[in-house]
Amino acid sequence: MSIAVASPGRRLPANLTIGATLVALFIVLALLGPLIAPYPFDQFNVRERLSAPNLAHWLGTDEFGRDVLSRILAGAPYSLLMGFGASAISLALGVPLGLVAAYYRGIGGELIMRGVDVMISVPPILLGLLILAITEPSLWKTIVAVGLVYVPIMTRVTRSVALGLLGEEFVEAGRARGESAFYILFGEILPNAWPPIIVETSLRVTFAILLGSALSFLGLGAQPPMSEWGLMIAESRPFIEQAPWIGLAPGVVLCILLISVNLLGEGLREALDPTFSARYGK
Amino acid sequence: MIAYTLQRLCYVVLVIWVMSVLIFGITQLLPGNVAYSILGQFATDRQIAEVEQLLGLHDPWYQQYGRWLMHLLEGDFGRSIVMQRAAGPLILEAFSRSALLAGIAITLVALIGIWLGTHSATHRGKLSDRLLTLLQYFFIAVPEFFWAILAIILFSAWLGWLPATGYAPIAESGLWRWAAHLLLPVMTLVLGLIAHVSRLTRSSMLEALRSTYVLTARAKGLPERLVLRRHALPNALMPAITVLAVDVGILIGGVVVVETVFAYPGLGRLLIYAIEHRDLPLLQAGMMVVTAVYALANLVADLLYAWVNPRIRYRASVA
Amino acid sequence: MNVLEVDGLSLRYATSRGPLLALDDVSFAVPAGGALGLVGESGSGKSSVILALLGLLGAGADISARALVFQGQSLIGAPIPRGDRIGVVFQDAGAALNPALRVGLQIAEPLMTHRRLPREAAIERAIALLGEVGVRRPREIAAAYPHQLSGGMKQRALIAMALSCEPELLLLDEPTTALDVTIEAQILDLVEDLRVRRGLSLLLVSHNLGVVERVCDDLAVLYAGRIVERGSSERVFRTPSHPYTKGLLGAIPRIEHGLRRLVPIPGGLPDLTQPIHGCNFASRCPFMVSACATPQMLFDLGERHAVRCHRAQALSDAAWPSEEAAHEPRLRAGPPVLEADEVSKTFLLGGLLSRLSLARGWPRLEPPREIRAVDRVSIVAARGEVVGIVGESGSGKSTLARLLLRLIRADRGHLRYVGREVPDLPGPEFRRRAQIVFQNPDSSLNPRKRVREIIARPLSLFGGLRGPALDQRIDALLDLVRLSPAYRDRYPHQLSGGEKQRVSIARAMASEPDLLVCDEAVSALDVSVQAAILNLFADLRDRVGVTYLFISHDLSVIAHLADRVVVMYGGAVMESGGIEEVLKPPYHPYTEALLSAVPVVGARERAQHRIRLPMEAPEPGQGCRFAPRCPRRVGTICDDVEPPVHEPAAGHRIACHIPLDQLERMEPALLRPGPGSEPRSRPTG
Repeated sequence: MSIAVASPGRRLPANLTIGATLVALFIVLALLGPLIAPYPFDQFNVRERLSAPNLAHWLGTDEFGRDVLSRILAGAPYSLLMGFGASAISLALGVPLGLVAAYYRGIGGELIMRGVDVMISVPPILLGLLILAITEPSLWKTIVAVGLVYVPIMTRVTRSVALGLLGEEFVEAGRARGESAFYILFGEILPNAWPPIIVETSLRVTFAILLGSALSFLGLGAQPPMSEWGLMIAESRPFIEQAPWIGLAPGVVLCILLISVNLLGEGLREALDPTFSARYGK
Repeated sequence: MIAYTLQRLCYVVLVIWVMSVLIFGITQLLPGNVAYSILGQFATDRQIAEVEQLLGLHDPWYQQYGRWLMHLLEGDFGRSIVMQRAAGPLILEAFSRSALLAGIAITLVALIGIWLGTHSATHRGKLSDRLLTLLQYFFIAVPEFFWAILAIILFSAWLGWLPATGYAPIAESGLWRWAAHLLLPVMTLVLGLIAHVSRLTRSSMLEALRSTYVLTARAKGLPERLVLRRHALPNALMPAITVLAVDVGILIGGVVVVETVFAYPGLGRLLIYAIEHRDLPLLQAGMMVVTAVYALANLVADLLYAWVNPRIRYRASVA
Repeated sequence: MNVLEVDGLSLRYATSRGPLLALDDVSFAVPAGGALGLVGESGSGKSSVILALLGLLGAGADISARALVFQGQSLIGAPIPRGDRIGVVFQDAGAALNPALRVGLQIAEPLMTHRRLPREAAIERAIALLGEVGVRRPREIAAAYPHQLSGGMKQRALIAMALSCEPELLLLDEPTTALDVTIEAQILDLVEDLRVRRGLSLLLVSHNLGVVERVCDDLAVLYAGRIVERGSSERVFRTPSHPYTKGLLGAIPRIEHGLRRLVPIPGGLPDLTQPIHGCNFASRCPFMVSACATPQMLFDLGERHAVRCHRAQALSDAAWPSEEAAHEPRLRAGPPVLEADEVSKTFLLGGLLSRLSLARGWPRLEPPREIRAVDRVSIVAARGEVVGIVGESGSGKSTLARLLLRLIRADRGHLRYVGREVPDLPGPEFRRRAQIVFQNPDSSLNPRKRVREIIARPLSLFGGLRGPALDQRIDALLDLVRLSPAYRDRYPHQLSGGEKQRVSIARAMASEPDLLVCDEAVSALDVSVQAAILNLFADLRDRVGVTYLFISHDLSVIAHLADRVVVMYGGAVMESGGIEEVLKPPYHPYTEALLSAVPVVGARERAQHRIRLPMEAPEPGQGCRFAPRCPRRVGTICDDVEPPVHEPAAGHRIACHIPLDQLERMEPALLRPGPGSEPRSRPTG
């Protein structure tokens, strides 16, 4: 297995710049949301309920007369938190577990991997449901649950990357110098391991957003009156025929976010693993 | 091959067992009192104590677990608290409806996804390939519940062609209505997955086409269609089997969402219902069924892969 | 009449840096029934020639030629009879065979396509072909899948596949490069035999001059896309006329030439995206003059010998200037640096689940499979000595290297360093003193660290050096391996294979080790680069007094560098002794087979005594590990009883059941060298 390095001065792939820009845009909107939203997200305005997009309300209003655009802006942080927060959790737990499982191949490593294999054999949503079934649902618990659900796959990916690296001769050269396990893991392996791990993490962000918003849609995530996008779509169901914009708007925005994150992930993969495009083509 | 099957069977049993411990353990952590839920909020303390005694709720957890497991193995899936009926038949009926949905979906995903992927790879760079790649990109990014909403808006609300909810048993309503009720849920389920499978098939097909054995096949003067069909395709299909197995897991998630949106009376909807109402026995039994089904589906995929891949099927060296 | 005529073949690729000229006006011919070798190192473009001829290059390749004629008919604009009248054997049989299809079917396919045979008939024909290429149970092999076959068997299947439609021309691209030398010899035997029996014409592409000399009547030397010399093998090897050819021949270590210094060719390939007006070798040529900057044509030296060098005749007697003569290697006094005593390592295969089987009716847990990787090996290395360990794949030599450095825990046996026992987990003292250089330049350096950091690590770890003292040491080490200080800030991916190996060596030398284990350290390098690294090792040995354990599958390389040799097979030592003694009888039968298999340059005029090993053999028993394949096997005693150790001379040991006097009467597998080569000088003391 050869580890590729992005040589300095190479042009960054288009995917990466576009994806990164869009994601950055979302982050900015999320941060500035409360400041730039025309109305507070939970302001009732019953007289103007279910109004189609117009000048006063660019994306219309929902069944309580709340401005859809403002709600969408207010909901941006939740999706971002879901994606990046859950991925951060699975990264923080999965990577060390994977490194340990790779380095200590004996009983400890085997146990970890058997556990991982079993967990991976369960459909993600089931694990999520299981975890959420036992407590009062809330957004934070959903983020933690989604994070935990993806720990096994991060462990597995980290372990296979680390195992591949442990077989490299420069690691053996380190052992021939009598280097400690700590130095080998952090000085030799990790600098080479993080590109594939970053790429995998970016994939996880996409799945985390998908899973998290699906759970919110099912009522097991964010709770009203939060304007999380999945929840907004769920709440729009009774009014689909009369006021489709209530569900369409957050849905479209969610799709754009997911596409942006995908672009970012693909771009990172191209930048960090040049052999990828040679292998998988355009 | 037989040895391999044996190993995978052991593994499946292990997975199901561990999940049973997990499911039982976690659901035992449900707050709230089971007896309370059964009897309602006006029950007296004495009635509660009686029911707890009856259900053996004060026994040590491993005894309770053992009892539950034994019942499961005997076919007794417990009693739904909320619906006051045996959980078993309830679950099985719901499962059959979900299985119908999932079965049609996975078949479509496999057939259409693989076909599109190979078409894309063999017409690489041409208009159809570029178009498909672009579409794939978008489709993967759309959550299932949004597909569902879009589908409902388009086909139900605006066009009025298809019903938005429910299920019409074929016996009662005839073929057309039955199919009409299935169409939107199935469509919602397959779109994202077809994109995923076709993308992967395309890349593994491209890799096969770049390989030395395809070069050799061409160097032998074989006609290109033979090179594609006999040499490239079998090797490209092997990863597709693996991905389909993973997709079954994603499909299960999709089924839960789709059944909720379309009010389709399947196992997914039943599970959500059980969670919302804290119906413990129903939840436990339902999750076990789903886990077992997924484990078996994975087993089938593993065995299929092993059968198709000569490196696993014929392990021994000949010379 | 020429089977193939190529005139003016040029190949251009579009790359991100501009068009790259991979082949420039290449012309050659293969006479009917003849064999032409195309020789070149990596980057010469030799592999592209076959693909260009067959029209198998992708759309991005721009091919042009004045003429491409096969059997009198032009190939330009016409369909190429691939697989039909022209057969191809590619390099890596494991990759060239489709893992999803049975071998018999793959051999039968050309017959079904070109000869319209029905499937069953075609497969029967395929089975017959397998028999013809020397496969003993062809029906079984035809029904098998590629992963079930060994390397040699796969290569035979590829050859059978290429021959299926009775082609007139066979193209071979490095057909034996990936194979062990004893298997290589069998395959080359097969190719020669087929050529005679079927009247085939051959075009063989290889970097291995010995292989080309053995098989081919004529050869053409390719450098950076241009043919620089062309002629009969005999003439070109006897009187190389182009400086590059002289350099190449001087760079190859030859068993019979002993310790003569190798010729490294300095510099690297020119940048093929820039047009080169004059001689493309000029920048590396020691005979360059100003006139070399003008375009060079191929001109005739007589007797079909042509060369692209205007100074060829003037330089006809000049040899490549070699560096000063080999130093007298000095053995130093003192206890042996390393003593290994009955070191053994057995690997157990199979996790719990994979050992489940249904073999005897009900599920059982089979015992794990044992692999005796190293079986009671004893080695002694005196200070300043070079001990060569030679063996083919599966001999256990790499495992042994790691055992000797305590990188893997041994199951049994003792290890003593300068008289003191080395524990399983050695302390920093041992680690400092015993270092290793690996085979693969691409994986032996951390791609995320600069050269500076790579070399600095052992210096700071063992010597505690910092700051200016550290930098000085780094520069000194770079100088030791002949790299300029400018290399300090480079990353590994910016270095060539040879440069990476030098950095590996510098890193290993940083702690001033007494013992350097080189595990196939030059095997992945081109011949000219290999020569430079071998010279470097020789220098380090002489100047610094390092003791080496040099591991290689290439007996010529070992013979060039080593004082003593250990021959390994199947994890055990077959023979060990001084290099002189091992290279002549009495030999162990395996040594004999190895020596007779090595394709030696300049061996054409001597009849190499051919000992060949059988392809397949059962697992060895408790006795001699080589017994199942031994052509001189005495009887069941060889399988069951451990062979006794003969000692014909002090330090020369042979483990064999054959009595010593019989071994002494063996024919030498390698005849004494002819006049004109220096005698080997032996170390004194």
